[in-house]
Amino acid sequence: MRNTWLVIRREYLERVRAKSFLISTVLLPAFVFAITVLPSKLMSMKTGGAERIVVAASDQTVADAVANQLQSSDSDRKYQVQTKVTDDIADKEELDSEVRSKKIDGYLWLTNQAILNGKVDYATLSTGDMILNQQIRDAANQGVTRARLLQHGVQKGELDPLLEPVKVDIVSLSGKKTEKNDMAQFFACFLVAMMIYITLIMYGMSVMRSVLEEKSSRVMEVLLSSIKAKELMAGKLLGVGAVGLTQVAIWAAFILLLGSPGALSTPEVRDMLSGQPLLVIFLPIFFVLGFMLYSSMYAALGAAVNSEQEAQQWQWFVTMPLIIPIILLSKVIISPNSAMALWLSMVPFFSPILMYVRVVAQTPPWWQIAISIALLLVTTYFIIIVSSRIYRVGILMYGKRPTLPEIVKWLRYA
Amino acid sequence: MSNTLELRKVSKSYDKFVAVDDLSLVIEKGSVFGLLGPNGAGKTSSLRMMIGITLPDSGEVVIFGEPFRREHLDRIGYLPEERGLYKKMKLLDQVVFLAQLKGLAESDARERARWWFERLELAAWMDKKVEELSKGMQQKVQFIAGILHDPEFVILDEPFAGLDPANADILKDVLIEQRKAGKTILFSTHRMDQVEKLCDSICLIDHGRAVLQGELRAVKSRFGRNHVQIEYEGDGDFLPSLPPVQSVHNFGNYVEVELKPGADPQQLLLAVAGRARINRFELAEPSLEKIFIDTVRQNGKSNGTPKGAEQHA
Repeated sequence: MRNTWLVIRREYLERVRAKSFLISTVLLPAFVFAITVLPSKLMSMKTGGAERIVVAASDQTVADAVANQLQSSDSDRKYQVQTKVTDDIADKEELDSEVRSKKIDGYLWLTNQAILNGKVDYATLSTGDMILNQQIRDAANQGVTRARLLQHGVQKGELDPLLEPVKVDIVSLSGKKTEKNDMAQFFACFLVAMMIYITLIMYGMSVMRSVLEEKSSRVMEVLLSSIKAKELMAGKLLGVGAVGLTQVAIWAAFILLLGSPGALSTPEVRDMLSGQPLLVIFLPIFFVLGFMLYSSMYAALGAAVNSEQEAQQWQWFVTMPLIIPIILLSKVIISPNSAMALWLSMVPFFSPILMYVRVVAQTPPWWQIAISIALLLVTTYFIIIVSSRIYRVGILMYGKRPTLPEIVKWLRYA
Repeated sequence: MSNTLELRKVSKSYDKFVAVDDLSLVIEKGSVFGLLGPNGAGKTSSLRMMIGITLPDSGEVVIFGEPFRREHLDRIGYLPEERGLYKKMKLLDQVVFLAQLKGLAESDARERARWWFERLELAAWMDKKVEELSKGMQQKVQFIAGILHDPEFVILDEPFAGLDPANADILKDVLIEQRKAGKTILFSTHRMDQVEKLCDSICLIDHGRAVLQGELRAVKSRFGRNHVQIEYEGDGDFLPSLPPVQSVHNFGNYVEVELKPGADPQQLLLAVAGRARINRFELAEPSLEKIFIDTVRQNGKSNGTPKGAEQHA
């Protein structure tokens, strides 16, 4: 016990004191934020000036209505809209050439004939801007509807109340939590899943590297002349795990701080994080279990091989079960109660990520959480037994790269 | 006098490879013992069984008069062949950690470590990391880590490797002190000059078996005083063809000549004096190095087991 405690203490202090701990504590959330939230933020922004658009319609009412609609679009985009009253197909060709010569960015061909034929076009050179396309579609529909209502004698002042959209909120009866914002919800899930994933890989690899370092630098021999392999492995896992838990706790505290009212965050962030106590409670639970499961495998891997290169050849074996949940992640977030999500979140190798995501997305029944955690615990127990046997034999084997049958044989030695 | 360590018919194999084969040896308390042998002979495998890293397949390891128990490890110090230190850890923290694993209290370990760093002229480096040190300094740190808990039995695998003569001398002095204080020291090495200077007894192993063992003096006299060391100027190619000569071993600066049984050294002196300028002519016991080479060579011939045992060395 004393020996294990000494190893834990060394691992913990050496790692927490290192600069890399501070750096990863700050940089990892920033990195995860950057790859999840930032792209969508950037998408809604556009570089350069206003979009120069011509709205061509058969009469001024329709053209004006669409132009107004476009200019009042709710976004960061700026539109510079000109109207043109025409029915002449020759004008269309002229507009085409203006687009090609880049005098304008695009034009909307909205003549009565075109509406009748169902062939309303927005012609432009760059068709890939999804947000722009959506806003043009919305503006055309809204504008034409308004124009039609006006033509049917509806007074201008009556238009807005008539067209006022209905807002639908999704309310869950299973918990108190209310879904405030689908996008925010999605990103919150994605963010936490990526955090768990990256932390598990990061700490797992770190365990593997340090076992490998102890083996190749022969510190192992010195240590083994004092303590048992079992004590050493337990100390390593618990020590590195405690470091990871410290980091996770710092993040959890930070999430609470950002989510609490009056804190230094924007309303959107608060909206995303508040009312999510489960997010904070289950983060350490799934981290610890996932860490024990994967890090014991990484420890065995580090013990079995002789160099980083050899480790890389075997690494996929351990990393693969971690990558699968990430591939399936968005499907689980979109429909957290589907049969697929249910079964996947029960698989012990996936549950640290997928069950956690389900908990955050839409708390599943407690018995599902309980079964998933129980399965994870049992699997972790067996993996630790198998890993510690490989570890015990592996740390004393130098020389050639072990083959799979050899490793299986090691299991019987122990 | 009681024995610090006894191996009784100890064997250890890895798969089909026999690393240690029916090895028995006795190390007396307070003695300096040399465990010698060529690469892959089973030295490290033997040492590992003495410190409980591996257990023998058969036979018995007796330490301090009792069958081996893990509790004994706190009374043993071990210096591995290659540097076994954490590269990124500060020196002082490192040796204190290793001493704590041997049961020392932290404050006690710190105090002793400071004393030792002072003693081995490393005091200025205590707060540096291992990776900032030269090989020789690392070796000294490793040595401190091995003896900080004041073990009764110190096992040193190639302790002088990588040390310059000045540092080797400091280390040698420390070892002599340790011995005076009643500690038992076991060397594993193939540096014969160090063995000759320091060891009381030796055991030469090859292919996992003891091929020669006993007190150093007894071993040497067993080979008789029929050796002559000659330092000369000029070409020595004629030496093997001289009548009293059995064999010649060239050590570079001097040659060691084994005489035929009953041959007169005087005869050799005259024969050589006629053909080269002699600076030194000394009747001597065979050097340990010569005994080592002869014994291993002979053993290789008679035993004929294939080499290739490096994997477990």
